[in-house]
Amino acid sequence: MKLVLLFALLGLGTGALIAGIALGVVLTYRGSGIINLATGAVAMVAGYAFWSLKTGFFGFQLGTLPALAITLVVATGVGALMEVGAFRPLRTASPLAKLAASLGILLTAQAAMLLGFGTTVKAAPPILPSSAVAVVGLTVPVDRFILAGAVIVIAVGLAALYRWSRFGLATRAASENEVAAMLVGLSPNQLSMVNTLLASLVAGLMGVLAASLVQLNSTTLPLQIVPALAAALFARFTSFGIACAAGLLIGIAQSLMYYASTQSWFPTDQGNPLPGIQQLLVFLIIIIAMFWRGASLPGRGELVERRLPSVPLPERLLRSAVIAGVVCVVALIVFPYDFRQALITSLIGAIIVMSFVVITGYVGQISVVQLALSGVAGFTLSHLVTDAGIGFPLGPIIAVAVTTLLGVLVAVSALRVRGVSLAVVTLAAALAMEQFIFVNSTWGGGSGGSPAPSPHLFGVNLGPTASFRGLDGDQPSAVFGFLVLAVTLALGVYVANLRRTSLGRRMIAVRANERAAAAAGVHVRNVKLIAFGLSSFVAGVAGTLYAYNFGSISATRFSALTALGLIAFAYIGGITMVSGAVLAGLISTEALFPHAFDKWFGISGNWALLVGGLALIITLRVHPEGIAGANYQRKQRRRAAGRGSRLKAWSSRWRAEEPTATSEVKP
Amino acid sequence: MTGGERRILHTDGVSVSFGGVRALVDVDLDVHESQLVGLIGPNGAGKTTFIDAITGFVRCRGHIELDGHDLSSLPPHARAQLGLARTWQSIELFDDLTVRENLAVASHRQSVWAAVRETVSRPLASTTAMDETLALLGLEPLAEVLAIELSQANRKLVGVARALAAGPRLLCLDEPAAGLDSRERAELGRRLRSVVDAGTPTLLVDHDMGLVLSVCDHVVVLDFGKVIAHGPPSAVRRDSKVITAYLGSAAAELTDPSLESADEESRAGASEEP
Ligand SMILES: Nc1ncnc2c1ncn2[C@@H]1O[C@H](COP(=O)(O)OP(=O)(O)O)[C@@H](O)[C@H]1O
Ligand SMILES: [Mg+2]
Repeated sequence: MKLVLLFALLGLGTGALIAGIALGVVLTYRGSGIINLATGAVAMVAGYAFWSLKTGFFGFQLGTLPALAITLVVATGVGALMEVGAFRPLRTASPLAKLAASLGILLTAQAAMLLGFGTTVKAAPPILPSSAVAVVGLTVPVDRFILAGAVIVIAVGLAALYRWSRFGLATRAASENEVAAMLVGLSPNQLSMVNTLLASLVAGLMGVLAASLVQLNSTTLPLQIVPALAAALFARFTSFGIACAAGLLIGIAQSLMYYASTQSWFPTDQGNPLPGIQQLLVFLIIIIAMFWRGASLPGRGELVERRLPSVPLPERLLRSAVIAGVVCVVALIVFPYDFRQALITSLIGAIIVMSFVVITGYVGQISVVQLALSGVAGFTLSHLVTDAGIGFPLGPIIAVAVTTLLGVLVAVSALRVRGVSLAVVTLAAALAMEQFIFVNSTWGGGSGGSPAPSPHLFGVNLGPTASFRGLDGDQPSAVFGFLVLAVTLALGVYVANLRRTSLGRRMIAVRANERAAAAAGVHVRNVKLIAFGLSSFVAGVAGTLYAYNFGSISATRFSALTALGLIAFAYIGGITMVSGAVLAGLISTEALFPHAFDKWFGISGNWALLVGGLALIITLRVHPEGIAGANYQRKQRRRAAGRGSRLKAWSSRWRAEEPTATSEVKP
Repeated sequence: MTGGERRILHTDGVSVSFGGVRALVDVDLDVHESQLVGLIGPNGAGKTTFIDAITGFVRCRGHIELDGHDLSSLPPHARAQLGLARTWQSIELFDDLTVRENLAVASHRQSVWAAVRETVSRPLASTTAMDETLALLGLEPLAEVLAIELSQANRKLVGVARALAAGPRLLCLDEPAAGLDSRERAELGRRLRSVVDAGTPTLLVDHDMGLVLSVCDHVVVLDFGKVIAHGPPSAVRRDSKVITAYLGSAAAELTDPSLESADEESRAGASEEP
């Protein structure tokens, strides 16, 4: 019993970090209506900055206080950059565009830390006293209490600031009604800036203070945003007190979960305690928060043009498919092995992005969990072969069917959740699936991955090890490339053509306005379920190909961070078009473009991520339709010249009412 | 005037309250075949709430019947599929679809299986019904234009056309004339008349009496959620309760409502001279 209490108290450390990030999330939301996924990344940047200053990474060493001061200046600077570079220009953009912008910041910050400090985990210098205090006979490090105390003081301070200061009143007024606030002379831009700076300061401070407990890790620290979002959901993105308390409690719960995993009764996976319990816990907490506090976020009376990227009709679809097919066949044969591999990876990337085209581009729902569904297909395929001896083609068929079903099940439970909330839930789900299922060595691949032997049909090897290997004769086989290419082309034509079908129109109607769609007789629920099913089907196909591609399958390929990166690439390419998905596939991790840059110029994949994050923000600002969409619009504008004159003639007829009469009067 | 004809919409004691606010109190309203029924009332009278109630977007008490079908317990899309079409006060077009596609979404009847099958089916060619609707509202030249590119007046018309495209048994229009200038209003009135004469009974909501009194067959007046008068335009126009409800600028307009539209037309003609 005493140990339970001890672990609960130890959990105050991470709890304080989560609470601090949650406070930052709430601040930004109240200030500008943005759910800032990069709040955890700010804590990470601050942690690394402090570490560098203290350990002399930049060639000089500072004492704790100056280092802390400079670190906080850096954190505030990051906040100012976010505000000026991304949030302010996107003030009137849709909530999803804002969310995507914060995703761009997260990816950029993470890639920057990876480039600057590498992947090894840094032990952050302790900043808090390392002494211990005795609590009812237990020895508890005093830093836990200091951390929890600090975050509580901050929360109380923020609540007081919001309640009694003119600034707090102004922010509350502006979030009620931005237009009215502007009329009485409040600048939403200034309010948003101050709130973002405060958020960065809080997240940065907690990042530095807590880093010595949780270690500096550029993969786990930015993802602390997920439990922080759970805490913020309990607070309805409004109450500082609740956000702080929920954050601390989540930290405690995670710590208790850790304690439980050391017990003999705890379920094990091949001798080790079951992995991913903490992520699963956070996911369940988010579900509870949504049910308890309502799935929709508090609305804001802001000036928003809720314009989403347009969804143009595909043109000359078959011609494009044939050209792309021929080019790829030639490339698969003549490319050296590494470029052949990169091309195949690009094609599979294009397929997984197509699943985003269906669900996000056509129906307007951001679902981060699609990549994890791919993973389900991949691991199912692998386990069907290794555990049940079911190979090609029945194995992948079952795997894809299971994935599609699972996707529909996810959709059934997420039907009432839409927009930004859906992104939050599916992010938590993706993280939980990654850690709980894929990392598990029985259900998933463990640390070494799970094998996926090459597919054979009638004794012919179709996998990467097949005998026809292109001109250079190295693996992977061009035959496997042809298989992937055929699947990519079929799905590409199918998804693009979907836009022209009646179902496609109804999807876009649902995306534009669920209410009006229902009034037009569209069964919104069914359309969403079918869209989730289709999208999961496509994701499942990609997952089986991923498994065959590397001959084995492991959790890292389907991680939540990879999923966020793919969504970024999808936006850059153009999330509403199949051509955008192809572009996204080409620029995604390990695909043709990054590989070429790496090979020819020695520019590593992390640079691609850094550039990708920045490109996402720029895309959202300059070309919300993505590269493919911008290209399409250029063509449209050229064509519009002719139509414009016809339109003008028609509108003058509407005015004149008697077109023939006017034309007779004229001469 | 059309008491003998078939009753398309029949509501009996429709009531809606929002918390403490009683937005509708026992509203009985009938629309008969080939009738254009106007529903008027000052702002906040409950007109929009009435349309929301019959189309299933707010919960209500009372009985609603469309062409003999009891609608009371059906969700909005099911009511739409039984032939109840509506527009909104703020126009809610599907911005990323062309005008024709906007109509095509509405003209579609579906089952789950049909929806699954359609994931692979060929695109729908333009149907004659859709072309007729476009022609009726004079929208053919705009058929391939994206909804987002339209002018305000045209967006209103496309909203009406989309509601019509399903071939509804009843058309409910919520303030289709709001935001239009007086010439566009008169033109809209003419188009609506031709829609009704072509066979679609219509419930027209407006807060301004001019349009409604000049084109409707039958007028119902709401105030504070209650029906305070109903009857042919000529009778409603003289009703003292109605004049009180509309006291102010509208009262002056009531003294000679026919003048406005006649005046409009002569001015329209005058501005045409080069
Ligand atoms: N969703 C709602 N919640 C609370 N009150 C509402 C809601 N919708 C309408 N009301 C109230 O119901 C009354 C009728 O509104 P409405 O039907 O919009 O009037 P009209 O369309 O005639 O101008 C008004 O007092 C309005 O404030
Ligand atoms: Mg109204």
